[in-house]
Amino acid sequence: MDNFRKKFIEEATEHIQDLEQALLELEHSPTNKPLIERVFRAMHSLKGSGAMFGFEKVSEFTHHLETIYDLVRNDEMAINAELLNLTLKSVDHLSLLLNEENEPPETLLEKHTSLLSQIEEYISANKESSVIQFEAKDKKKSEKQLQTYFILFQPYEDIMKNGTNPLFLIDELHTLGTCIATPIYYKIPQPEEFDPDKCYTSWQIYLATDVDINSITDVFIFVEDECVLEVNQIHESNLLENQEFINSINEIQKNQKELTVTEIKDIVTGLSQPEEKEQIKTNGEEKVVTVAVKEQTISSIRVSSDKLDQLMNLVSEMVTTQARLSLYAEQDGRPELLNIAENVQKLSRQLRDNAFSIVLIPIENMLTRFQRLVRDLSKDLKKDVVFEAEGTDTELDKTIIENLTDPLMHILRNSLDHGIELPDIRSKMGKPRQGKILLKAFYSGANVIIQVFDDGAGIDTSFIRTKAITKGLISPDAQLSKREILDLVFIPGFSTASKVTDVSGRGVGMDVVKRKIADIRGEVELESEVGIGTTLTIKLPLTLSIIDGLLVKIDEIHYVIPLSVIDKIYAVEHRKLMKSFNNMTILDGEQVPFFYLRSEFSLPESTAEYEEIIVVRYEDKSVGIAVDTVVGEYQAVLKPLGKHYKKQEIISGATILGDGTIALVLDTNKAIKQFANQTLIKEEVQ
Amino acid sequence: MAKTILIVDDSESIREVVSFTLEHEGYNVLVAVDGKDALKFLDGQKIDLIITDLHMPVLDGIGLIKEVRALPDYLRIPILFLTTESQAAKKMEAKEAGATGWIIKPFVPAKLIEAINKVLR
Repeated sequence: MDNFRKKFIEEATEHIQDLEQALLELEHSPTNKPLIERVFRAMHSLKGSGAMFGFEKVSEFTHHLETIYDLVRNDEMAINAELLNLTLKSVDHLSLLLNEENEPPETLLEKHTSLLSQIEEYISANKESSVIQFEAKDKKKSEKQLQTYFILFQPYEDIMKNGTNPLFLIDELHTLGTCIATPIYYKIPQPEEFDPDKCYTSWQIYLATDVDINSITDVFIFVEDECVLEVNQIHESNLLENQEFINSINEIQKNQKELTVTEIKDIVTGLSQPEEKEQIKTNGEEKVVTVAVKEQTISSIRVSSDKLDQLMNLVSEMVTTQARLSLYAEQDGRPELLNIAENVQKLSRQLRDNAFSIVLIPIENMLTRFQRLVRDLSKDLKKDVVFEAEGTDTELDKTIIENLTDPLMHILRNSLDHGIELPDIRSKMGKPRQGKILLKAFYSGANVIIQVFDDGAGIDTSFIRTKAITKGLISPDAQLSKREILDLVFIPGFSTASKVTDVSGRGVGMDVVKRKIADIRGEVELESEVGIGTTLTIKLPLTLSIIDGLLVKIDEIHYVIPLSVIDKIYAVEHRKLMKSFNNMTILDGEQVPFFYLRSEFSLPESTAEYEEIIVVRYEDKSVGIAVDTVVGEYQAVLKPLGKHYKKQEIISGATILGDGTIALVLDTNKAIKQFANQTLIKEEVQ
Repeated sequence: MAKTILIVDDSESIREVVSFTLEHEGYNVLVAVDGKDALKFLDGQKIDLIITDLHMPVLDGIGLIKEVRALPDYLRIPILFLTTESQAAKKMEAKEAGATGWIIKPFVPAKLIEAINKVLR
């Protein structure tokens, strides 16, 4: 059952997301029928399956919400801001409830009760007599003695039309206790008039059982409108053990005589004391909710992310093994083997691309949360802000998306809090009263760029500069470009809010945003024009687990440098490198600072005549890295280093080469930063 | 020969919990995600029972029941529908369309088997 619960939670989470999305849209078009249907349907599904998988609270809760939206659907109640606020709050509560594996904690229960009463109040305030009680069905089985019932079951002729087989019902009665069923078949017509699709038989049944009369009528629940059914208790003991009684009914039934209850009772009286009779009627039922046809079609299947991770892992392993095969085939040299190796290489590449595309999900998935944030927060801040998104079908690795949501939320909070001005100020400045935040996503090579624009106040660089100086982050005479000044906001301990609000000044600064994005190998950049707005650009890799890299060798160790940062490679004489002044060399007529990796890694100088310098981008500069030799392009399947290597930042992972040896993946950005600091320290010491 | 039951529901969790229960009981189980999808199975192959949800995209339960009852091969096949609460009118509508019986959600496996036993042996 746990598995099903998990699946239910997944499904319910989707319903809740859909619900939230629909509610937000409903805010703009409160009379949109399909939207109301969508809301209703999501609630209906949550309620239905909720109870089934043990989420009674969820079910109970949605039931009340459903009641409201049923009224809305039937035009008996209108959507308004109050209702939407209440519903959205309830939806949040629902997701909290879903996350509670066990009995929800006290605080949640309190909230539950208070929200429930709010909803109930809302219903009764807006519509009398519309509260449908949520009934908990618990049939109490009272312990009873064996009783004898007489059951008359006369199906209508058409009973078999709907696929009912009356014999199964008789069979079912047999499972309830001791049962004697006598068919009455005198109504069966002559063969020429006989219609095999019709039922001509009725039954007289004696049943001795300990179940109550409801359980007996329950047997016939599907056919209650398709037959005459009478269930009468005839005695408070098991008459079917009474030989005298059996004999007398057998005698009567030989003649196919239909007995009435009274006649039976007379027989019973002849045996012992009669019992009062009980007539069963079928109950009338309640209000109906018709549910419209869902408009979405199912074009995808759900796979657990564990399985996907497993797939990715297997694909990575295969890519590694394939590299090994290629290497072996090359050494072996047999043309057939080379052929096969080449094919395997082609296939595994396709497989890899395919597997990667599977774990890519569109950024659309994050948007509802953002819309909600902008909506709620702008209201709190008394600002008027519209949130728009472009390129929502841009896809990213799911791990990246998961790790991106929080930083983006923070960025949006910042834009709302510090960026967009109050409506009055905006109109004074000649801007439209309504501010705008635009989230734009697009592909750029092997990267995805996500930009957040706002047309707010922008960032005042002189203010940042002053602040950085007072905080001691830069020296007062530092010469900084505009870009460098803006980058100061990403330094730990820098917060632009002059007063701490509960919105964005929560101690989580832009430095955390930057770090979190860096964790998924992304880069952040800030641009801003005072009075016009701010643009924050995030550059992300498409995937995290495989990188295209350049395989290089230093001493006997292989390193991989991500191709994405490499500009150009130069062969340079060893002599020249050693003679260079201040770690600068001239490449293509330009001065380029470089680091000699052998000395950075405390290895002896190379004895080779030529070495190679790889020019990589570091921030907006070019920096060279000198290595022994470049081996070639290499697709590296990233494997994490053990925890003992957590403290260093230069090596971001390792990969297994075709021959089984290990290559280390160099994070050039961090490496250069660290080398530069070391050089500075050295210089200061000297 | 094991009986074959076709389950029609757009909710994966319901499909799974029903098919798990039924497979455990020794039935062959076929699954469809909506009425239209279900009709694909009704191509003359032996199906002994259909269990369908009522609210589904594309073709809902009532629509499916009507379609099934129009197929000569499946005129008398028992059809159970899943319904969330005891809604008389919906039940009537489904019964008039030709449903044999219903199963009220939420249900425990025993209830499911009980309902099936009413229409299938």
